[in-house]
Amino acid sequence: MSGSIILEYALLIPLLPMMAFPVILFLGKMFNGTPGWINKTKEGGLIALPVMGASLILSIWLIIDSLHGTSGTTLFTWFESSWWDPATGAITTKVFNVGIYIDHLTIMLLFVASFLCFLINVFSIGYMNTDPINDNRNHRFYAEFVLFCSGMLGMVLADSFIWLFIFWELMGLCSYLLIGFYYERPSAAYAAKKAFLTTRVGDVFLIIGLVMLWNLFDGHLDYAYVFNPQNIAAVDAGSLQLALGMMFIGAIGKSAQFPLHVWLPDAMEGPTPVSALIHAATMVNAGLYLVARMFPFFAATPIGSMSTLAIIIAFIGGITAIMAALIAFVQMDLKKVLAYSTMSQLAYIFTGLGAAMWLANNGHMEAATIALGAALFHLFNHAMAKGMLFMAAGSVIHEMHHAHHEVHHHDHSDDDHSANDEDDDFDAQSMENMGGLASRMPITATAMFFGSMSIIGIPFIGGFWSKEGIIAKTWEVAFLEPSFFIPALFILCGAGMTGFYMSRMWLMTFAGKPKTEVASHVVEKTAWIPIPLVVLTFMTLTAFIWAGLEVTGWLGDYDSGHFHGFLSGILYEFKHIFLNHDITLLLLTYVAIGLSMILGPLYAMKLYGGRLEEGQKALPWMGWFINLSGRVNENSDFDNSAWANSSLTKSLHKRLHFDDVYDAAMLKIVVGCANLAALFDTKIIDGVIRGIETTAQDASTKVRSLTTGSARDYIMMAALGTLLIFGLLWGVA
Amino acid sequence: MGSTANMDLKSKEFALIGFLALIIAALAAFFPNLGANAEGNVDWISIPLVGFPIITGVILLAFASQESRTGKKKIAAPIRLACLCFSLIPLGISTALFFDWLIAVDWSTLGYNEYMLDSQYLWMESIGVSWHVGMDGLSFPMVWLTTFLVPITMIMTWDEKDGATYHPLLLLMGGALIGVFVSLDLFMFYIFWELTLIPMFFLILKWGGSDRRYAAQKFFIYTFAASVIMLLGLVTLYFLQPEGSGPFHGTITGRTFDMTTLFANAAAYNLGENVFLGLEMQKILFVLLMIGFLVKLPAVPFHTWLPDAHVQAPTGGSMLLAGVMLKMGAYGMMRIPIAIFPDALVYYQDVIMAIGLISLVWGSIVCLGQTNLKKMIAYSSVSHMGIILLGIASMQPLGYAAALFMMFAHGIISPMLFAVCGAFKHHYRSMEIGDMRGMAKWSPFLSVYMMFAWMASLGLPLLAGFVAELMILLAYWPIYGWWILLPGAVLAITAAYYLWSMQRTIFEGGDEGQPPESLNGETPVDISVHENIGMIILAVFTVIFGIFPFIALGMMDDWTVALFEGVFNRGGI
Amino acid sequence: MIDPAYVSGLSAILFTIGLWGAFSRKNAIVVLMCIELMLNAVNLQFVAAAALWGDVTGWVYAIFAIAIAAGEVAIGLAIFLSMYGQHETISLDEVDLLKH
Repeated sequence: MSGSIILEYALLIPLLPMMAFPVILFLGKMFNGTPGWINKTKEGGLIALPVMGASLILSIWLIIDSLHGTSGTTLFTWFESSWWDPATGAITTKVFNVGIYIDHLTIMLLFVASFLCFLINVFSIGYMNTDPINDNRNHRFYAEFVLFCSGMLGMVLADSFIWLFIFWELMGLCSYLLIGFYYERPSAAYAAKKAFLTTRVGDVFLIIGLVMLWNLFDGHLDYAYVFNPQNIAAVDAGSLQLALGMMFIGAIGKSAQFPLHVWLPDAMEGPTPVSALIHAATMVNAGLYLVARMFPFFAATPIGSMSTLAIIIAFIGGITAIMAALIAFVQMDLKKVLAYSTMSQLAYIFTGLGAAMWLANNGHMEAATIALGAALFHLFNHAMAKGMLFMAAGSVIHEMHHAHHEVHHHDHSDDDHSANDEDDDFDAQSMENMGGLASRMPITATAMFFGSMSIIGIPFIGGFWSKEGIIAKTWEVAFLEPSFFIPALFILCGAGMTGFYMSRMWLMTFAGKPKTEVASHVVEKTAWIPIPLVVLTFMTLTAFIWAGLEVTGWLGDYDSGHFHGFLSGILYEFKHIFLNHDITLLLLTYVAIGLSMILGPLYAMKLYGGRLEEGQKALPWMGWFINLSGRVNENSDFDNSAWANSSLTKSLHKRLHFDDVYDAAMLKIVVGCANLAALFDTKIIDGVIRGIETTAQDASTKVRSLTTGSARDYIMMAALGTLLIFGLLWGVA
Repeated sequence: MGSTANMDLKSKEFALIGFLALIIAALAAFFPNLGANAEGNVDWISIPLVGFPIITGVILLAFASQESRTGKKKIAAPIRLACLCFSLIPLGISTALFFDWLIAVDWSTLGYNEYMLDSQYLWMESIGVSWHVGMDGLSFPMVWLTTFLVPITMIMTWDEKDGATYHPLLLLMGGALIGVFVSLDLFMFYIFWELTLIPMFFLILKWGGSDRRYAAQKFFIYTFAASVIMLLGLVTLYFLQPEGSGPFHGTITGRTFDMTTLFANAAAYNLGENVFLGLEMQKILFVLLMIGFLVKLPAVPFHTWLPDAHVQAPTGGSMLLAGVMLKMGAYGMMRIPIAIFPDALVYYQDVIMAIGLISLVWGSIVCLGQTNLKKMIAYSSVSHMGIILLGIASMQPLGYAAALFMMFAHGIISPMLFAVCGAFKHHYRSMEIGDMRGMAKWSPFLSVYMMFAWMASLGLPLLAGFVAELMILLAYWPIYGWWILLPGAVLAITAAYYLWSMQRTIFEGGDEGQPPESLNGETPVDISVHENIGMIILAVFTVIFGIFPFIALGMMDDWTVALFEGVFNRGGI
Repeated sequence: MIDPAYVSGLSAILFTIGLWGAFSRKNAIVVLMCIELMLNAVNLQFVAAAALWGDVTGWVYAIFAIAIAAGEVAIGLAIFLSMYGQHETISLDEVDLLKH
């Protein structure tokens, strides 16, 4: 544990945004609608920006300071309580602390989170403030935005599972608020509720898992204690596996994996910056972070004792990868394609983590660290790429809105900017209305081009370095443990499918001729938006630098010093991937590359390719691709109508019926039970009380009838009573 | 009071203000003595703490009830103000006690059966009743909570009709509640216990909803019947004591009602070895006492008075009822049966757990099927009180501290919940969940508070309720294992009904929202300044106790450790 | 002297007649007369007992009873008078205001 000044101030990283939350909210309420607030502070955006910038700077300082080893510090005690041992009567104090813990995983995710929070803040200023539908309520957006960022940063820096959970829930709250930002729309309110409840179901299992873990580790949930191999060895591996399994279910909910994935597509109801930040770059990574944190447990427990959990993790990953990719095939909404893509890529990371855990638990530590490193590197690449993709999608949608406004409200006498007026049932998010935008939106198109390539895993760009690692390692495990074959196969196929749907998305949006008049009027003109797109494109293209820095090994095992120098690092990676000595892995790599780089995009080009129209030119790095797609499309007569009309496709359109089943279960079973219970409570439990009431009243009425009001009767009763008393007295005595 | 009826109104107002000034002057005259007297005897401070609200409440009520209708309207403003000032004085006292401004108070030094500000005055010599009051880690948070809630309730319902009699009733209620928590004599405890019923009865009867007569009657008779059963237990306990024990034993009966003597007698026996009064007697007395407390809690199946009482009660009544009165049941449980009948507790541990679990689950499932907002919150109170029973059944200091903290946290959160319902009633004249949509547009402040209170109640971390739920779960697993899935499921169900109710009232609705029919086309308005102030104070404290739970949890933890060391630890099981 | 047994017997018969009359008559004055009859029967019993045991206490009780009976008749008649003023009747059957 090293102590340095930054550790004392590390708490500011999540705390600054948290304090900005009430400030922005309060100022926004007070100054809502005034020109100064709208222009000078961008309705709170320019208050949030320096705060996020400060968090970013502090984070980078912390990262640089922590590169030499795991560190952390306990800041203060949150509360204490006691435990009583009935057998001995001893009372021990259990302490709950607040502190910071920094290791490789923290550093990576801290960088991702703070960097993306900052960039998406920049993006929001351009996106949210220029859309009239958001007038006078952006302060709410920025306030909730900074609160969310504080939640993410806090979770990453936390030093115990309890504080991970606390910030996890805080993020869930902000996700709810932000998805339901346009609360007046029933679909948005419904989507927010669905997100919260689905993740809540996962959270229930998470907290039960935490409770089990606390009890296993003698009242400790802080990383410093629970990651200690001696403490882990002292714990029963079976119970530990159960506890971790419970926690994994929570991760499934948060990262939208099968079967708790249903909330993510609906979450696209929120504004696009929300989708970029929460549902691509940060919150959904929380589940991955949690599972990655479980790695030390797998490493320190007896051989093979937790393999089942590793297999389950990989299976869930594999199933989700294929399922999400399939559903993405039929999506028309730009954001929904990206949502399913997120689901699928996260599943890749889960599979990689599952493979890493299995390897760790079965004694192959060297391979395990590489696998873990690959999975985490893919998290990094995916976050960067997907954040960029969502922002680019937002840019497209934004400009489509503007173009629609121009085309359909060309006479400026109609200045009414209400949302309903704007839409006229025109869906600015549907790819069916786009096309040919590559020439009209060069920066966005470039961003999306390279982002898609990163996701697909095109060699040398972004996600390639990590995706190949995951596929390779999973297959390596498959040869050792047969049940891994299925996830391995799934993610291999998934590579090709990713190629297909991402290319489809890009081609439908940017290639070919504009499908509507609106699309032909699109112009890229909003300020602020291009900045993050350019930055992230650069990050995607320079991912080879990280690969060269052996970041895969570094991420997997923090203290390993594999660094051979930059150039030799690149050569090493090159050799390792393209010229691997193991023939099966070599074959595998090329098959994967072939599927994802050639086969997938080829079919996409056949169906959706097309040259730009006359007079339009795209930037050269995209132009060749568009022209190629045009040529392929013209020369192929691939008819996919059989596929399009199949029952599988119909089922995919309904998202494989998961939503229907869950909704039915909720409505019919849960709500049905509830109504029955409410009735039972009123009629039967309360009925007993009312029964007592009526019985008492009836008895009272009967007894009352003795009072006839007639004096004669009273005299009779008095006489009888006296006789009775005499009889009792003399009869007894 | 014939003479005052003849005084004209102006002079009555002057009399009132003069009375107020006199009281403040008297207190000011006393306080300098206290500051200088750090070691000195401030034990008498509990008398004004309890007696002050009650006496001033009664006097003001008497004042106000003599007036004619128009007179009442005119006198409402000064009486309201007077009540608020009088309610702030106990708050000042209890806060000063907390921050050690009056005397140095160190809760961690108290052992079992030791109390701060312990003062005892003989009252009824013949049967051994004394005015014995004192506070420890169990009762002080409750006392502070009560003194805190009464002024907030008054502020929140400032504009209630007939304020001249309403606010003194609240004051009276507060005083009686404080009395329950500080009393250390069984007789006095019972007196204050029953005394709390009276103002609440009148509050429901006079300011309640359409079916108020039935609800008030049901509330009174149901809880009163249960208290009578408890009285039976208490009197039996009284007579089973050995003769001549304790300093203030009665001259005729030879026994005393004093709790400290009782606890000391019980502590002479060992858990599991010699059993105080024998196991059979303990079981009987335990059941008798618990019935009284369980009905008050309320625990399923004795809970049906609560929804009716809440739906019909006015906002202020609901706030105090849910905020403090329900905690009386839990407090009583922890104070008497748990401490003196540990063997019976061990015997009935699983039964208590079952009742708690049933309350928890049943309360939340029934919530999901409600359409009336206030009834839904009432059932959620039932559900949260079930958690307290789970904490008690765990027989761990962790669980007990969790139960105590849940009492405290729920005491801050549920008044806010009911305040929101009250605001709906006041401004929208409807509490039906399906009646309106999109009200966030018209009442942004109300919507924010609603969201905040709803999130606090479902256990969002960094708000007061989370720590309690976490601790209960932590204590629950090692003892009851996989039953933990039920409380876990309740977490999800709670989220479901809260979110569903929010979606139906403040969200959706399109651009213009759909106001309820009961408004008859009026434009919906947002909450008034008073409601705003009240709710923001409650919100701030919810956050404070969520982020810094140790403020209250520290003394609660000390008390539970003392309890376990003093009661459960002798002789071992 | 008369055998006290006979006096007791007469007393019993008078009492029974009075009791029966108090039950069965409707006229309030007649009921009052019957109650007087019962009281006098008891007086007679007291006198007989005093004669039998030679204890002067019996005579004393008898005189007390006479005085109290007088007072009671006065009150009773006053009540019946006001009852007549209110309800125009002294039939006990017709005045049943205390009926549930």
